[in-house]
Amino acid sequence: MARTKGYPEALEKKLADTRLYEDERHPEFTKTVEKISMTIPHMCFQCGTCTASCPSAPRSSYRIRKFVRRSLLGLEDEALTDPDLWLCTTCYSCTDRCPRDIAPTDVIMAMRNLAFKRDIIPVNFLKTVQAIYTTGHGVPNNDVNRAARKKLGMHPDPPTTHRHPQYIKGIQYILDYFELKKNADRIVKEREG
Amino acid sequence: MREYAFFLGCIAPNRYPGAESASYKTAEKLGIKLLDLEGGSCCPAPGAFGSIDLNVWYAMAARNLVLAEQMKKDIALICNGCYKSIWEVNHKLKHNKELRDGVNEVLKGIDMEFKGTIDVWHLAELFYDPEIVGVQKIRDSVKVPLTGTRIAVHYGCHLMKPRKERHFGTTEHPVWMEEMVAALGAEPVEYRNKMLCCGAGGGVRGYDLVHSLDITNEKLINLKEAKVDALTEVCPFCQLQFDRGQIEIQEKFGVSYNLPVLHYCELLGLAQGMTPQELALDLHGISCEPFLAKVL
Repeated sequence: MARTKGYPEALEKKLADTRLYEDERHPEFTKTVEKISMTIPHMCFQCGTCTASCPSAPRSSYRIRKFVRRSLLGLEDEALTDPDLWLCTTCYSCTDRCPRDIAPTDVIMAMRNLAFKRDIIPVNFLKTVQAIYTTGHGVPNNDVNRAARKKLGMHPDPPTTHRHPQYIKGIQYILDYFELKKNADRIVKEREG
Repeated sequence: MREYAFFLGCIAPNRYPGAESASYKTAEKLGIKLLDLEGGSCCPAPGAFGSIDLNVWYAMAARNLVLAEQMKKDIALICNGCYKSIWEVNHKLKHNKELRDGVNEVLKGIDMEFKGTIDVWHLAELFYDPEIVGVQKIRDSVKVPLTGTRIAVHYGCHLMKPRKERHFGTTEHPVWMEEMVAALGAEPVEYRNKMLCCGAGGGVRGYDLVHSLDITNEKLINLKEAKVDALTEVCPFCQLQFDRGQIEIQEKFGVSYNLPVLHYCELLGLAQGMTPQELALDLHGISCEPFLAKVL
């Protein structure tokens, strides 16, 4: 089921041009990705086992091998602005099969971290942050579930931050320490008004 | 009786409370007592938080770990996503001083310190481990054998992968959960591409629902081909993706499978004599009735 994602025209054009331009390469990008991911993309010999193992590859233009190559060549903009970056389900099949002992999944995670530093992030990720900031849970309780829990003879709220909200303060401290809530609120507001 | 701090996560207690309820009861029958981990939170979601900022992920997971350290109990949990966060962050912080120091610098602000004094286990691996429970004990605890049913296993990703960091052996074709299914009297069924991801992880379910459901659909096609009565898993997020996902697949792709999806703890609960009401199976998106009719 191949589908086009309606990429911005500039990116569409850029991806069509497969030539390598020296001025687009940022060697520090390669190093930063290796540091955050704690893996070794520079060992990649482009065999493609990762893409062949990838559940997202057959149904999109997402090619994990390409991202590993980009990290190696230092193609920072191309890697971080490609919307396919967000199609990795983090299943780690590529990591388990890589003959060079690279963890391509962790390369993707590192690139996503770097993308977020430039405000490139799908909104759904940020909404999880907002939910956790308020309730401690990414998927919070609701009335239907509370009723079901009661019927089972359980407390309507699990013994987590739901039943003991005094613990939420600690979570908010951690999220504020990294200014994550502030940035999440700002980006969601910019996107959704 | 062995005691563990029970890390609940989000989806089991807040969407499939029957799986939580079954965990306490089935584990107790097998000599494991699950204690409340007061103040636990989201693990936090490895796909969402790991993608935004790994340092936040480490610190948030460490807070949950410290709560169990304060109880002086190992953690047991029932979700692969939670396993990725809680097990892996515990492992990383124990072995990487630079990371640990960074996390403790943050935790200092809430009077906490990660010490690395506990271990983290998935309840399924405790059930399988012959030194803790073992397949024989599971078999002995069965009151209502699931005889005559064909059950397939979805292992999920984050329990056993990445293989080199974990301790489960092969991730290409494992069979340990099939052994646990057979112990309940059911027939475990192999199917094509068993180890394929459910499609929900990495934030993809939220980012591109149709893409994520297309992966789920591929699994469901393969499961249908194998003519199974039910699918079992050990991850409430996979459960959500297969169970509620079937309704979404019906809406978006116009195909229906009506395949009941049960967490292994729910399945074990049934086999140990719990009623469908005690397991809140009516909360499932896909009716378990056809499967129950074969069993009860």
